[in-house]
Amino acid sequence: MKVLQVIDQAFRTTVEEQDDTILWLTQSMRGAGGELTVLLGGHGVYYGLQTQTQPALQLGDWQQSAPADLPRDLTQLLESGVPVYVILDDVTERGLSPQALRPGVQGIRRDELAALYDSVDQVWQW
Amino acid sequence: MDHRILTFAFMEPPFESERTVTFFRLLDAALAQGAGVRVFAYEGAVALAFARQAPHGNAVHGRDAEQEAHPLSKDWIAALQAKAAEKGLTFEWINCGLCVDERGVNEVIDGCGRGGPPDLWRYAATAFNTLTIGTR
Amino acid sequence: MSGYLFIQSQDPFTEARTTHQFALARQLFAAGHAVRLLLVQNGVTPARQGAQTPYFDALLRDGIPVSADDFSLRQRQIGDADLKAAVTVAPISTVIDALLDGNKVIWN
Repeated sequence: MKVLQVIDQAFRTTVEEQDDTILWLTQSMRGAGGELTVLLGGHGVYYGLQTQTQPALQLGDWQQSAPADLPRDLTQLLESGVPVYVILDDVTERGLSPQALRPGVQGIRRDELAALYDSVDQVWQW
Repeated sequence: MDHRILTFAFMEPPFESERTVTFFRLLDAALAQGAGVRVFAYEGAVALAFARQAPHGNAVHGRDAEQEAHPLSKDWIAALQAKAAEKGLTFEWINCGLCVDERGVNEVIDGCGRGGPPDLWRYAATAFNTLTIGTR
Repeated sequence: MSGYLFIQSQDPFTEARTTHQFALARQLFAAGHAVRLLLVQNGVTPARQGAQTPYFDALLRDGIPVSADDFSLRQRQIGDADLKAAVTVAPISTVIDALLDGNKVIWN
């Protein structure tokens, strides 16, 4: 069973969970043998261009010690065999550069999405 | 029990989103149509089965707790468990354990268990179909 | 060809993303797939006559079947006669039918 994980939000949980919860879920299911592909759209495209660990939060004397490392998470997904696509139209409409997509991440145009959706058995939109 | 099973993954906590109501309506509809149900509750949704949810009155409307009869998601789950049992259908509910721990909602009603993402994959891989409902 | 049911909870008045969601539905339909939408929650609001929703209306002009959840309509006191002509009223069980028919059911 092939599943497309569609992620179109970003940074909602990256401080409190020290992960994007859907990227994390995907990594975990991959470890259990899941056949998954990730599609980053909307603000999720930011994940395809990240090069740095997230800033660590400080509140009073509470200091975050293990902030989310999204580049690491993308690397682990790619190395585990999970294809990662980024919607190019969403990249450019946000003033981001498709040239800045990290290696291994595949750009896909909005008008190509139908074929991607059809290539999987299920689409899980988060 | 020879019936098709549907898997649902859900993320909303109780009381914060209309999605929670639609989700429970879908589970009810699935049972009504003779389908078994398996739920993977992720993130905020793990609080839906919290056993210590308690009703309260409504002073603005002049109602005490009994009169207000405040909806509680744990009661919704129990009602669906009963409906499934009556119809001889599967009804399983797994909370993501790490999500439970961080929220401190470890006491859950009977019939709800603890697991992790491999359980979502297992549920989905063995179900007839799966629907995921995220959060905003 | 696959069948798709989009459960549309997001509405164009508050969620800019619906423009792309509706466009994807149209794209799949144009590619020959069976595509339907079930509007739920505030997702039913563009279905009201007079609602100014060009991207939603384009779905209707394409002939994509669009239904609105009866419960969501009743909550908002939108009667059958208040709906745009091409929108039908449907029960939430429509989703279960689609799942049991093996459709790809996607929550927006």
